[in-house]
Amino acid sequence: MRVLVSWLRDLVDVPVAIDRLAADLHMRGFEVASIEPWHGGEVDDAVIDLEITANRPDCLSVAGIAREVSVLYDVPLRLPRPPASPDRAPALPITIEAPALCPRYVGALAEVSVGTSPAWLVNRLAAAGIRAINTIVDVTNYVLVELGHPLHAFDFEKLAGGELRIRLARAGESVTTLDGQRRTLDPQMLVIADRDHAQAVAGIMGGHGSEVSLGTRVIALESAYFQPQSVRRTSKRLGLSTEASYRFERGADPDAPLRALLRTCQLLEQLGAGRLRPGVADVQPSTLEPRVVSLRPARVGVVTGLHVGPGAVDPAEFERILVGLGFAVDATGKEVWQVTVPTWRVDVTREVDLIEEIARSVGYDRLPSTFPALHAPPAPPDPRLERQRVARDVAVGAGFAECVTFSFVERRAALAFADEADLVQLANPLSEQFAVMRPSLLPGLVDVVSHNRRRERRDVRLFEIGARFTVRGGETRGLALVWTGAASPQHWSGTGRQADLFDLAGVSSALGERFGVDLVCDPADIPYLVSGRAAHLIMKRNGAADQSGTPETDATVVGVIGQLVASVAEARELPANEAVLVAEIDLDRLGADIDANPVVRVEPLPRHPSVVRDLSMLVAADLPAASVRGTIRSVAPPTLAEVQEFDRYQGRGIPEGFVSLSVRLTFRAADRTLTDTEVQDAVDALVAALADRHAARLR
Amino acid sequence: MVDAAAIARLRAAYSDELARAATAADVQALRDRYLGRKQGAVTALWREIAHASPEARPELGRLANDLKTHIDTTLSERRAALAPSKPSTPRLDLTLPARALARGSRHPLSALLERIEHIFARMGYEILDGPEAEDEYHNFEALNMPPEHPARDMQDTLYLAHPLATRSSHLATLLRTHTSPMQIRYMETAQRPVRIIAPGRVYRRDNLDVTHTPMFHQVEGLVVGEGITMGDLKSTLIGFLRQLFGEDRPVTFRPSFFPYTEPSADIFLGCTCRGAGCGVCKQTGWLEVLGSGMVHPAVFEAVGYDPERYTGFAFGAGIERLAMLLHGIDDIRLFYENDMRFLEQFPS
Repeated sequence: MRVLVSWLRDLVDVPVAIDRLAADLHMRGFEVASIEPWHGGEVDDAVIDLEITANRPDCLSVAGIAREVSVLYDVPLRLPRPPASPDRAPALPITIEAPALCPRYVGALAEVSVGTSPAWLVNRLAAAGIRAINTIVDVTNYVLVELGHPLHAFDFEKLAGGELRIRLARAGESVTTLDGQRRTLDPQMLVIADRDHAQAVAGIMGGHGSEVSLGTRVIALESAYFQPQSVRRTSKRLGLSTEASYRFERGADPDAPLRALLRTCQLLEQLGAGRLRPGVADVQPSTLEPRVVSLRPARVGVVTGLHVGPGAVDPAEFERILVGLGFAVDATGKEVWQVTVPTWRVDVTREVDLIEEIARSVGYDRLPSTFPALHAPPAPPDPRLERQRVARDVAVGAGFAECVTFSFVERRAALAFADEADLVQLANPLSEQFAVMRPSLLPGLVDVVSHNRRRERRDVRLFEIGARFTVRGGETRGLALVWTGAASPQHWSGTGRQADLFDLAGVSSALGERFGVDLVCDPADIPYLVSGRAAHLIMKRNGAADQSGTPETDATVVGVIGQLVASVAEARELPANEAVLVAEIDLDRLGADIDANPVVRVEPLPRHPSVVRDLSMLVAADLPAASVRGTIRSVAPPTLAEVQEFDRYQGRGIPEGFVSLSVRLTFRAADRTLTDTEVQDAVDALVAALADRHAARLR
Repeated sequence: MVDAAAIARLRAAYSDELARAATAADVQALRDRYLGRKQGAVTALWREIAHASPEARPELGRLANDLKTHIDTTLSERRAALAPSKPSTPRLDLTLPARALARGSRHPLSALLERIEHIFARMGYEILDGPEAEDEYHNFEALNMPPEHPARDMQDTLYLAHPLATRSSHLATLLRTHTSPMQIRYMETAQRPVRIIAPGRVYRRDNLDVTHTPMFHQVEGLVVGEGITMGDLKSTLIGFLRQLFGEDRPVTFRPSFFPYTEPSADIFLGCTCRGAGCGVCKQTGWLEVLGSGMVHPAVFEAVGYDPERYTGFAFGAGIERLAMLLHGIDDIRLFYENDMRFLEQFPS
């Protein structure tokens, strides 16, 4: 709302300088967007551009701001008082067919001579940001800015039948609006029609067919109240927002139409541009009862913290504020006042709204500062947030940079990671680039790798924690890791090694360890990962499964790990010949019922020495190491404390199709020193079982 | 005849020769000349002393013995000094760069969220988590925004094409436009005084530009109890802002409008330009950093709290906005581009 200060001064005395006025209005809740010096006539004039919040349509006018200023400085308000029109039979026949959407319609005829407006009027409209058109349109716009009530003028001689009907649009009906657009209406839209055709979209824009022109001799003036939701809906449907619709959809003053119409006529007469034809029609299918709201002055203190009463803030101050703002206060009941709400205050419906008016006028800076007492201990943090925090710590500790990417991605990028049927689509996406919810964190991260690669970064380690969305899984929280390039930062001492999947699996293992579970790789086929370089991540509790030799119980798939297929990498502009290693873990599943901060129970330190035996064996090259380990675990006595693969070799001296696998076995007992014989017996049994089950030969 | 003076002369002669001994061979020759079992000068001295008078013999014996010890010690020292030293440990050029640890980094948004969570946790707040795909009721209706409410214009919403069944067993139809739905869900089940913050991602249908992204982060807070006033709101949020931005920053409150609070207040932080006016504060000296207000009674009614018994305050802030002010970032898109040259400026 652009307020010209000299115009404001017509309606209220402003006892302070313009900067101060702006600052004071700002502190009353009207954010000052700008102060612009205005050289339209008076010296020392300015336009203050105020942002009016959606609840205060009454302040979308100079009069509304003037009322605030009158309370602010406790000075009188001077609103224009147009003379009443003699009580005659209405000159303009008006029929309201949709009274729910148009509770009031005031109409009149005026003889006019259309011309150009005087400079002072053009200047004021310009200050308000409105272009002058002709005297008739300019005067209705002037009243719009001054009083905040939108009006419309029809060329009466172009109205078929010389009447107005306020009705719903007919199916297939259309109207050409003043902006020259032909608009097709739907039967929920309210129109102002003559006998035959729609001549205006109610509360939004007039029609081209009855537009006032230089030749217009008689106008039909409209000053109505339209139901806000209806205007809002039509405005949205048509994609057409105007000064009028902006006010009607927020709520106009149902008491303003007659006043605004008379003010328009008063100005037309003053300009010599027109004369009202006696007989103003005021069609009001139902009358609006003023709202009365109870206010307990003591409640002001309860909400704001102000001390109300003797020796503190006097309730009489509250009364002055409310009356100044146009409320009628009946304070005869000391504890409970009856406050009548002015019709323009559509936002005030309950006691707390009155309290806000008082707090705002008293000034927030005058409210005391206190600190709320704690009455109960706070609950522990949400375990999901704890899990995310732990996952973040692990990833950062492993040298990964955290990313935040958008939750919506391009359909094409998402399809690499989920079926079409599983994609969650947006109904009204911003663009193709953001069309579907990400089914995985990976498409976003892969794009970030690509972004950084294009900026000369070869070694990239990234992670993201966030929500993923699929039709089958709903919304889940995940952690994704991406690694490409060197395994460690470059150093002058040697050429670095490229990172491989064992590096990445080290990170997922560390994460599992932090949660008190084992995260192990279970080779699997995953469409977006290179075959033979892809695995599910399986959660096993506490290493207990490993100990007991029953590795497959209590196992759950909580994620994937592998090398991204070249086609996906290439599609996102990554070089196909460099491995992009990825992992994604479902943090909801990983942590579903485990503690992010498991309590450590200490194992006693070994008191007896361990016995170490190394075995090197030849096994089939495609035999998974996990099978060998499983066999060892299942056969070994409980004294086998640890199994560790320490070498794997293929090449010279090893037959084709075989591999030399070396494991280190550590035996230990808690209560005694093991004898050579018992260790040898255990190893013999192991070797026999390995030969039996895997045809393993010792080297 | 041997006497004390002769021993002293011999000692002086030895000292001269020792001073000239430059190699291990010289030292060995000296040892042979003085201490040699057959021709050694000191050995010869002992033989002469044997012929001295019995009265002089003890004193001469002591002097000869001293000389022998002296020669023995000094020769050993000299030999050690001349001996080739063991091969030394190769020198390291410690001015060369260290072997760098692979250092990760925390995204500035999540780092700031964690910091804010810590500040409120210290003030006794519980920290909530909740779904980003929400239903209309929790995102709007329960927050005093019925379907035709004009305030729904203020936050153009991204809707899902089809309702989504979620693990938290609600049917989501939209992406939450603020984190308030978490507070509603909390109050629906808590039914008692609350002191919570709800951090997370939110979505609005805004095109990307220097200050807008269609997804951003918020933290909202809620305190409900008997006797909670706007004064409590003031000191809590002043305290929060000063912990984040520094104790010397001024804070002021201005009336505002939100459908779910009444009275409502925008909170401003004094700009680093200290009122001089700069581009960041658009010459006003103040930066808008938080929205807040007293919980609207309609919100209490929606979640089954008695608005006569309970009062409360709520607040919310955009994390990107706070992070931009804290770190001097002028383009919000930097947060979402994830350029490593940007991310690595926030080492952990």
